[in-house]
Amino acid sequence: MKKTVFCILMCIAHSVWSQNEYTISGYVKEFSSGEALFGVNVLIDNTMGTTTNEYGFYSISLSGGPHTIVVSYLGFQTITEPITLEGDRRINFDLREESNALDEVVVTSSSKSNDVRSVEMSVATLKTGVIKKLPPAIGEVDVLKSIQLLPGVSSVSEGSSGFNVRGGSSDQNLVLLDDATIFNASHLLGFFSVFNADAVKDVKLYKGGIPATFGGRLSSVLDIKQKEGNLKKFGGELGIGLISSRALIEGPIAKGDSDEGKGSYLLAGRRSYIDLFAPLLDDLEDTQLYFYDINLKVNYNLNENNRLFLSGYFGQDKFAVENIFGNTYGNSSATLRWTSVLSDKLFLQTSGIFSDYNYEVDVLTSGTEFQWESSIVNYNFKPRLSWFISSGNTLKTGVDFTYYEFNPGEISPLNNSNTTPQDFQEKFALETAPYVDFEQKISEKLSLQYGLRLSFFQRIGEESVPVYENGEPLTYNPTLDLFEENTILSETQFGSGDVIESFTNLEPRASARFLWNETTSVKASYNRNYQYLHLISNSASATPLDIWAPSGPFLRPQFSDQYALGYFKTFKDNTFDFSLEAYYKDLRDVTDFVDGADLLFEEDVETQVVQGDGRAYGLEFQLNKNSGKLTGWLSYTLSRTERQILGINNNEYYPANNDQTHEVSLVGIYQLNDRWEFGANFVYGSGRPVTFPTGKFEQEGLIVADFDNRNGNRLPAFHRLDLSATLNPKKGGNGTWIFSIANAYNRQNAATIFFRERTQEINDVDIPLGTTEASKFSFLGIVPSVTYQFKF
Amino acid sequence: MKTIKRIFGLNIMALGCVFFLACETDVTDDIDLASSPPKLVIQGGLERNLTSPLVQQEILLTVTNDFLSEEPNPAVTNAQVSITDGTTVWQMNHQGSGVYSNTELSPQIGTTYTMIIEWEGETYQGSDTLNEVPRFDRFFTEFEEGTIFSPEGYFLKFDTTDPANVENYYYYRAFRNGEFVIVPDPGNAQILIASDEFNDGQQIIGADINGEVPFQVGELATGQQLGISEEYFDYLFQLFTQTGNTGINFGGNPPPATIRSNLINLDTPGRRAVGFFYTADVEEATITITE
Repeated sequence: MKKTVFCILMCIAHSVWSQNEYTISGYVKEFSSGEALFGVNVLIDNTMGTTTNEYGFYSISLSGGPHTIVVSYLGFQTITEPITLEGDRRINFDLREESNALDEVVVTSSSKSNDVRSVEMSVATLKTGVIKKLPPAIGEVDVLKSIQLLPGVSSVSEGSSGFNVRGGSSDQNLVLLDDATIFNASHLLGFFSVFNADAVKDVKLYKGGIPATFGGRLSSVLDIKQKEGNLKKFGGELGIGLISSRALIEGPIAKGDSDEGKGSYLLAGRRSYIDLFAPLLDDLEDTQLYFYDINLKVNYNLNENNRLFLSGYFGQDKFAVENIFGNTYGNSSATLRWTSVLSDKLFLQTSGIFSDYNYEVDVLTSGTEFQWESSIVNYNFKPRLSWFISSGNTLKTGVDFTYYEFNPGEISPLNNSNTTPQDFQEKFALETAPYVDFEQKISEKLSLQYGLRLSFFQRIGEESVPVYENGEPLTYNPTLDLFEENTILSETQFGSGDVIESFTNLEPRASARFLWNETTSVKASYNRNYQYLHLISNSASATPLDIWAPSGPFLRPQFSDQYALGYFKTFKDNTFDFSLEAYYKDLRDVTDFVDGADLLFEEDVETQVVQGDGRAYGLEFQLNKNSGKLTGWLSYTLSRTERQILGINNNEYYPANNDQTHEVSLVGIYQLNDRWEFGANFVYGSGRPVTFPTGKFEQEGLIVADFDNRNGNRLPAFHRLDLSATLNPKKGGNGTWIFSIANAYNRQNAATIFFRERTQEINDVDIPLGTTEASKFSFLGIVPSVTYQFKF
Repeated sequence: MKTIKRIFGLNIMALGCVFFLACETDVTDDIDLASSPPKLVIQGGLERNLTSPLVQQEILLTVTNDFLSEEPNPAVTNAQVSITDGTTVWQMNHQGSGVYSNTELSPQIGTTYTMIIEWEGETYQGSDTLNEVPRFDRFFTEFEEGTIFSPEGYFLKFDTTDPANVENYYYYRAFRNGEFVIVPDPGNAQILIASDEFNDGQQIIGADINGEVPFQVGELATGQQLGISEEYFDYLFQLFTQTGNTGINFGGNPPPATIRSNLINLDTPGRRAVGFFYTADVEEATITITE
């Protein structure tokens, strides 16, 4: 198989290879900071072009003779340079930001002019600059909440940083911070995301057409790159808000007398302080509730061709009630990357990554104090080679190695309590995924990108695996319409490193772009993705107590096939662009819970999970205004997401928890003058599916609800308006004020509606009254906030 | 382990409610709920109680009605109900208001009892097996100060010894002055029922009968430990999870679903009954609260 693939690739390579060509390559950087720019257009003689990769590197092959190079990037001054090519050349460009003068202000929601020409579809790029101009949701600019304003992306619940992409559940998003997988991207139970906007350079979301270079999750890839730090001068930023404060410093390393340092660093930190207000509320007097995080990035140019990057993230949440309860959770990650320009056409990047998500719960009730700890650790090694064969033809190949250690739980006594220590078995897995991805220009009009990923997942020992009666942990009993747990007959002991179960799967990916004319293109894509990790959480909202279970003897990997078709158009000289995409996604072996699942302290999670199928389809529409005083976008999504799982909803299709029929986002940023800037966004979404009771009965003194169809009802529609105003400093000043009002007209959106028995409190005890009520919960009313930012 | 689970369950559930300074609105009058055709409901089962022997075994039959209805569930008065252990058949006679009873039936340990209900031309059938329950080694009260998670007062406590090498499932009931007390609390699924999965054959010391129900001085407090079947344990787990799910939970919100009954409709399997026909062995003790 591998031989055939290689052979095909060589043939392709040969067919696109032409003689007597020279290569121009180099880096494109931002002038003031020396920061590499990603996605910059490098256009030759107005006919052929390329874009810079995530390290700002480009390479393009041309015939000898005179040419004109145009380097352009929205928001930056375009460079036009004539050259005469007589051999391979290395040319670096420094782009200057367009000045802040009124008529020149450009804000862009993505590298837009690219959309029509690029083979990529279903991709959105957001720069921190744009994210920071959007009204903050709860007093804090948030990367993940910004992407929820894009079509096809919706929020798990109001105010939550959890997100769903094209009907995928939130664990089907691969969230990468400088290539390190982040397992839980939320702070404070989902109200904030772990990404500090100050330290983030840009965010790229793949909703579909996921290239073969990524793998491991079904629905999307959110690729977040941290800033590299200023190569030229030392600087910093302070931000003081009502909810949190943050600080950042950056500067060159080994600058000496030269214009630029040999490297640069960036260090950013945040700390929330909502808990300072806690003493104001009697109930919360002894409560601790905060998060903090630290981002670090260092890069160093070993020489012209070799660079080293070190990036790190450390974040922690703490929630504690004195003498009763404590919960700490957080991610940490470290990435060491080496990029090397091997030749004008070959670019090699190699990353070694460590990532860890852990949580700890302390129960401090007198006599039975104990601590519960759980973690997922993974180590990655990711070499990748990019070969810029010729203009429009690029081959990327590499292997992703990942080693996982799952520690589902460990209980230890605290304060000499008599709790018996318990240690659930650790689980280990190894994932190896070689891939090739090829971008090929067939003609001026037609370009293709296709690739193949081979994922090979092994569950390895040491582990003792139960042997169930009937070979399966659960058997469906159609008479009773429920799953019955099977008895464990014996256990098979696997030694350290022994293979317990392995899976090998091919993941083909392909996209095509047909350029109708200079301003219009049509694109199509297909991709198959496999996911070997399952998030076992009985909640739609983000909780820190997530349990991730690897595929193995009783849990099959989940996979999806996605087909997408799109139409892209720009008009009025790129001032506006428009896109329309349709997608259909088939999901297999997705997990859901058997009714009445008990997940807390469950060692054998497979006994609580059933696997079934899903499907999702929809239409996404987006209109962007990219330049002028007023910029922004309007997006609309029409979609349907369903599941079919044995034992749920009489075995028929039912709407998934994240199904949302209509979703509209309207985002506007208005630059009034040099100093004042205004932002607004309005979001409307159809109500999420919920299951309301169809009857009641009594049992053991309590009123019990009876239900017919899973997710057969809808919450009321959701809508809200957020506003912000930014007062930029006068010339020479460096303080910025940001005023915002989230949920401006104080809409009490239903987070959920509960049906329950009415109770009356008598002597501190809620006595059931025998009658019933429906009660709506809303998370957030109107939230005004102000932030002061100071640059030095 | 049982205790750990109890306390943990209690705390994380309660925390969710504390954290979200969320706004709650009563929307009972704004909601239109679909109604489904009435289903047969069974309440009750067979109980073997050596401390205060029952004069008769009884069950209650009703039908479901709309969830937000203010009316009590209509009683089923026209059913034919019988119970058999495979050899003897006991008729349960209608006493009025949906109560069916028999004075002859004296439940025996280890016996599987099957209930047969004939109603509206259809036959429902369900079984449960009676498991022996261990006695209390000690039954006492302890005063506990209130915290934000639990009320203040005297709580019923007990020691008991789990029989070794058999699977045991327990259910705990508290009575105030002879009247059954239960609170729709998120922690019930962790607190009111237990299995010996992690402490088979061990003595359990100082466990709560119901940590949500405090007693005051002068009250007559009764605690029961019921030996139940694994099926009934699973049923009660779902029952308490659902009835306790009254707010946003830090520990998650499992999707609601009909709690499956052990009664099967032999004629139209899709038309199910709700409720559970259980058999239980009961250990009971009573104490008057003093200072």
